[in-house]
Amino acid sequence: MNSTLKSGVGAKLRHGAMTLAALSAFTLGGAAQAEVSQPTYDKSDIVLVTTVINATNPYMASWIEGSKALGEKLGLPVEIVQSNGSSQTQIAGIQALAAKGKKIVLVTNPLAASDVPAIANTVKQNGGYMVVWWNMPPNMEPSQVGDHFVAFGTYNGVTAGECGAKALVEKMGGKGGIIALPGVLDSTVSQERVAGLKNVIKDYPEITLLDEQPANWDQAIALKTTQQLVAKYGDQIDGVWTADDGMMLGAYEAIKKAGMIDEVKFSGEGAYPPVVDLMVNQPDGDVVAGSSFHRGYKAAATGLLIAYKAAVGELDVAKLSEEQRHGQYAIDCVTPSNAATFQENGGIDPTWLDRLVEDPFMDLVGGPVAAPQG
Amino acid sequence: MTTLTGTGGATTKRGAATKWRGGLAEVVILLGLVAVFSILNPTHFPTLTNLATILNTASIPVILGVGASAVVLTGRIDLSVEGVMGAAGMTFVLLSANSRETADIGWLAWPAALAVGAALGALTGAIHVLAKVPSFIVSLGIWYVGLGIAAVLFGYEMIPFLTNESAVAWPTATLAGIPNSFLLALCVAALGVLIERMTRLGRAAYAIGNNEAVARMTGIPVSTFVVILFAFAGACSGLAGVVGSLALGAGAANVGVGMLFLTLAAIVIGGTPLGGGRGGTLRTVTGVLILSTLYNGLILAGVDPSIQSGVSGLVLVAAVVAAGWSQRERLRVFK
Repeated sequence: MNSTLKSGVGAKLRHGAMTLAALSAFTLGGAAQAEVSQPTYDKSDIVLVTTVINATNPYMASWIEGSKALGEKLGLPVEIVQSNGSSQTQIAGIQALAAKGKKIVLVTNPLAASDVPAIANTVKQNGGYMVVWWNMPPNMEPSQVGDHFVAFGTYNGVTAGECGAKALVEKMGGKGGIIALPGVLDSTVSQERVAGLKNVIKDYPEITLLDEQPANWDQAIALKTTQQLVAKYGDQIDGVWTADDGMMLGAYEAIKKAGMIDEVKFSGEGAYPPVVDLMVNQPDGDVVAGSSFHRGYKAAATGLLIAYKAAVGELDVAKLSEEQRHGQYAIDCVTPSNAATFQENGGIDPTWLDRLVEDPFMDLVGGPVAAPQG
Repeated sequence: MTTLTGTGGATTKRGAATKWRGGLAEVVILLGLVAVFSILNPTHFPTLTNLATILNTASIPVILGVGASAVVLTGRIDLSVEGVMGAAGMTFVLLSANSRETADIGWLAWPAALAVGAALGALTGAIHVLAKVPSFIVSLGIWYVGLGIAAVLFGYEMIPFLTNESAVAWPTATLAGIPNSFLLALCVAALGVLIERMTRLGRAAYAIGNNEAVARMTGIPVSTFVVILFAFAGACSGLAGVVGSLALGAGAANVGVGMLFLTLAAIVIGGTPLGGGRGGTLRTVTGVLILSTLYNGLILAGVDPSIQSGVSGLVLVAAVVAAGWSQRERLRVFK
């Protein structure tokens, strides 16, 4: 954990230097937009597009909020494409907007990695620009696809998994049994977070990982699965580690209903507002150990802004660094000791968006996330 | 009547004789599963606590199954359960004491949610009979209408948590070792049985499923009854949405995720053919218990999660084959 944090800080410093260089390039080239290497457009020819899997997941809701906030800042409307869990619906939605004639500036959290080539083609034919978060085929690199695929961003799942796990085992006093609820087994994000959990418990010989049952990123399924695990392990369960906070809320309810809330600690990922609230107000005691903080708000606004700046020529795609084309962004660890700070303004500093507009790569902390080991 | 057999075929002597034997097959499968899992995990599976866990898991699919099998009896199908659960569940949460403080109309939130479910069900039924569109496709559409309503109600705000702790604790609280949610499900099942056996509506459902043309000729108001049965199924889905929301302690548009597969599989495993005309509520309850036991047992037996879904799929196919073996010559295409 510490080493990751340090390397994160190192990357931030390195990145700071890069940003300065990039900023000076912006100020010099700011007015003379034609000097960038990629085709650029007038603001009025642009439509901002954001895609979400559904609008009812808190992460997605925050994603939409971030897209809209940036749209307001730039004075441009935002079109929302909802995929409702279907790759086809998602691609068709983007194609329909492309067909309307305006140039697309897209930020997408694609349903599956395999959707990215089709989306990239649509954007290329339209002449627009896009930034992709979270999912991309392993052999793909934005710099090799072309200028229209401006950047790929992600968060380090291993760091996120470690953050919750570390807080959890410490709150458990370094011993006891843990049940883990990953998202879905073949999800890279879930695998990274589980790898983070396993990294941490390696150092705690008295911690046992009782069971791992994927709960499909879903609150209702996590509730049901935890009920079965309670039937199986009962008092052996001292901690519940989940790959995201939605599932943590389901597991929390199941443990509470089993009358075990006093004996079990929890950790999650994503620092959903209700989870932060559990840490601050502690209605059932000090039981939520930690969660890692990042917001759909920040991801969506950052991605949309990078694509927008490429489209209007405020940013020269050819001059972006490798890390800017494909990098990881900052994650914070939230624990009961600092949760109150994150609760204010939903964890997003009111000046954040203004600072972002000055430097869209503000939160970049490093290059691609390495594949999980074991 | 026997001279008029079209697609349906009147109940033959052989059919009547196999009716009860078929019912026994499902119970044998259930007992078999219980025996196998008790051997695989003797310390945790065969306990009263785990029984309560299984019954609690079974309660939502039982409630859904009662409504869905009433529709299937007529040879129709209702695929909208997940969407209707979402719409009714969100209605219930937003009309109950919740963290968004939208409204709190007390116990009236229950009938309100049921009404939303019944209305969506009636809409499915009405479009199906008036426009003569297959119920399969209409209910598929209504699924997404329900999901859409739920999504609109959810909006972009924070998750609405139910603030009435005793209401939230109610489904899992037990009475004589049986969770309240399952007792409620049993009441719904009893209502289903009552409708099937004691009312004209129920008897007509069998007649419609058996041979709709004949049913019409004998003066049964087929269209009206079909709409009523869809409304009943919708109300059941609505109730399931309420129980699901109480279990979560929060509103979620996808409260019904994964329930359609479970419900339809339970109906078929229980031995109600999708062609209609036979079977009914009690069989579906057995089907749900088989699937809930399987789900619980696989986790308790420590089957690797990667192969759990494969195993449960195989057991499902095996159960359907075993349950339907005696009727294999009589299976029909569903409408």
